[in-house]
Amino acid sequence: MAVAAEAVAVVVEGEMNADRFGLGWRPRLAAGILANLDRIDIVEVIADDYFRAPHHERRALQTLAAQTPVTLHGVSLGLASSVPVETRRLDDIARLCVEVSPEFWSEHLAFVRGGGIEIGHLAAPPRTEATIEGALANLARAKQIVGIAPQVENVATLIDPPGSDRDEASWLSGIVRNSESKLLLDLHNLYANATNFNFDPCKFVARIPVERISTVHLAGGKWIGRNGAQRLLDDHLHDVPDPVYELLEEIAARAPQPLTVILERDGNFPSIESLLAQLDRARKAASRGRARSLEAAA
Amino acid sequence: MSESRLEVFLARIYVDQAARERFLADPRGEAIRAGLAAHEIDDVVNIDRDGLDLFAHSLEHKRAHKHGHQKNRN
Repeated sequence: MAVAAEAVAVVVEGEMNADRFGLGWRPRLAAGILANLDRIDIVEVIADDYFRAPHHERRALQTLAAQTPVTLHGVSLGLASSVPVETRRLDDIARLCVEVSPEFWSEHLAFVRGGGIEIGHLAAPPRTEATIEGALANLARAKQIVGIAPQVENVATLIDPPGSDRDEASWLSGIVRNSESKLLLDLHNLYANATNFNFDPCKFVARIPVERISTVHLAGGKWIGRNGAQRLLDDHLHDVPDPVYELLEEIAARAPQPLTVILERDGNFPSIESLLAQLDRARKAASRGRARSLEAAA
Repeated sequence: MSESRLEVFLARIYVDQAARERFLADPRGEAIRAGLAAHEIDDVVNIDRDGLDLFAHSLEHKRAHKHGHQKNRN
């Protein structure tokens, strides 16, 4: 028994070594991140911040990428739309990928503009065959122009998207199963949608292709609205809540492949120690999930 | 692929307060005038009004915050 437990511990350690845990790069966190690279496996950079950045900032990003694994995260392509993504936007990503050589890049399955109107945020599109086909066409163009298919991220929504004829798990699976893209599963987005629209996030996870999850986002949010109209807003301004760690454990228990786990924080910044403590908590949650997987297999 | 009229319609009512108010006053009429298909008209008439209100206010807040940051940078 002790030998088996020891063997499990060794394997779990091996699995944990394969999983990576990192932070979203924000200028306010830069000093803290650079001082703690021994505790941060990977850094996710918002690509859009660098498309028009001065030369010295792009050089600084290249220097960062030479020091630690970096991924690029886009926020404005609008992949999940009937509208083809403009070539110039894909060219921006392509150019930055050449300069930085990220491990991978990612974008959201959202629509962000329509009829010349910029929504200014990530909106959940109508969940239909048409938006699945639009997303697949956009992903194919992205792969063609950038050279690598992006990982695709589920988005949080405060509004149940009108015009939908299927639920989010079915829609998301339709895109991931029919594209080359791996899934970046944002667990706070999932938790917020499950809370706001009354579904079980674990059942959601059971319905999506977990073997295609490559990256996981963690974040926090807050309640907004009044009386009966309250919704959970994914604002990246608060600590990761307990249910999100529980979902991370669930993903680690179900997904055999290594995961990259990124903690996103956009403001209301706590100390770097607090963020690193949240990363440590994520490591423990993932480790529990890996142990569960091994116990189930034994 | 042509641009979805529904996406354009949604973008407008999410962002443009006057368009949103016109829509909330006469959802079916505005949907018909936007040229939406019959099933889309039914969907937007039954729109999640709480969600629309919260999302629209969240966007306004985000835009105000962004403009504030830009001013600070300048």
